[in-house]
Amino acid sequence: MSVPASFRQQLLGTIPRLRRYARSLLIDAAAADDLVQTALERALSHWHQFDQQRDILVWVISIAHNAHMDTLRRGGRLAIVDPHELQVEQDLRGSDPGADVGLRMDLIAALRRLPVEQREPLLLVSVEELSYAECAEVLRIPIGTVMSRISRGRAALRALLDGHAPAPAVQTLRRVV
Amino acid sequence: MAVPPSLFPFPTSDERDDALSAWLDGELPAERRAEVDAWLQANPEEAARVRLWAADRDALRARLVSTASEPVPDRLQQLVLQHAPEAATPWWRGRGQWAAALAVFALGGLIGAGAMWRVQPARAVVAQAPAGSWVQRAALAHSVYVPEQRHPVEVAVAGRTAEESRAQEEHLSRWLTRRLNVPVKLFDLREQGYELVGGRLLPDGNGAGPGAQLMYQAAGGTARVTVYLRKPDEAAPAAFRFERDGDVNLFYWVEAGTGYALAGSLPREQLLALAEAIYRQQPTPAASAPK
Repeated sequence: MSVPASFRQQLLGTIPRLRRYARSLLIDAAAADDLVQTALERALSHWHQFDQQRDILVWVISIAHNAHMDTLRRGGRLAIVDPHELQVEQDLRGSDPGADVGLRMDLIAALRRLPVEQREPLLLVSVEELSYAECAEVLRIPIGTVMSRISRGRAALRALLDGHAPAPAVQTLRRVV
Repeated sequence: MAVPPSLFPFPTSDERDDALSAWLDGELPAERRAEVDAWLQANPEEAARVRLWAADRDALRARLVSTASEPVPDRLQQLVLQHAPEAATPWWRGRGQWAAALAVFALGGLIGAGAMWRVQPARAVVAQAPAGSWVQRAALAHSVYVPEQRHPVEVAVAGRTAEESRAQEEHLSRWLTRRLNVPVKLFDLREQGYELVGGRLLPDGNGAGPGAQLMYQAAGGTARVTVYLRKPDEAAPAAFRFERDGDVNLFYWVEAGTGYALAGSLPREQLLALAEAIYRQQPTPAASAPK
């Protein structure tokens, strides 16, 4: 019933990378540590569900991902969007000269502008160096979806850094079905 | 979107970008990788675009990677080392299994408890007890009281003299029998190396009346096992079942109008030996007190 000491030690080892991921996702350090705390608490109460064959970091990051999505949902900032629609929207913005803000953006500012469904896989693969398969496991989406979201995310990030592209005033989270 | 011939071998610009991005991440199979290598050679502008992506990736890494080497705040460390989550355990979820267990119990009644006893232990199922079941409460009570150093039991049986101990045992047995309305016998596990510490009365939900916990401790050791007794919801004799939760093992069964659950952090075989000793000593149906 009680959490085994060996599991606690394993979990302890994930904190540095879990914090980094949360920080890269939320930027704000305090909010990131709140997310880390929530993820650790959930991991502790569900320790028995952890399969020792799996990588504990991938497991804990997927808990953090779920917790983050819960927070966004509670905040009412999640709308369901068809993937095709999302792409059309992005293509439109990308090709709209009016969307050119003419400013080169700082890397972190540009990252924050990415929709969360692109930001997450891009960070998991670029910074956490997860494989596409692990990324798919964390986000519970097919590998093909991981691949296309990363490539869209890369293109969008570059466009932002070049100073042409979508700069929506209010970031709306879309869940791509 | 028009597809210029230069896109070949990619059917669309999206698929081209997906492949280039996967190429950058080393996610392409060898064959496909070679194909993209060759294509990038022939398309220097595209190669430049991919180099920019690579530079962005490296910049992201450079900006964010160092966060992982910051010292872990004490608050998070203590959380992981000490946080005791609310008792959420793997095996008391799902009513389906309970229904299945009840079916097995009913079947057990037909076959005969004795036969079941001989058949079941060898391949006792690792069962899933239902949410809110008495087995869950038995496991919970075990984990709550076993670590107690000063107050492991409500009524201790150790007395200054043998007579005093006997009197205490008799009091405990009578008290629990009266409160549970089932005969509570204090099992003698000394042959198996365990001595009775004492017992306590516990609330047992669902209007079923209270339950009782008897605690035993290894002679000259610190290992403790508990026996949880209660009047079961259904008086049908039940199959002998085994369950594991973390480091706690449990054997439980229903016999002669009493539900028994033996819990301990012992290897299954050792716990089984204790369960068998208890089973042999439990009051027989004929000898049990009239209800």
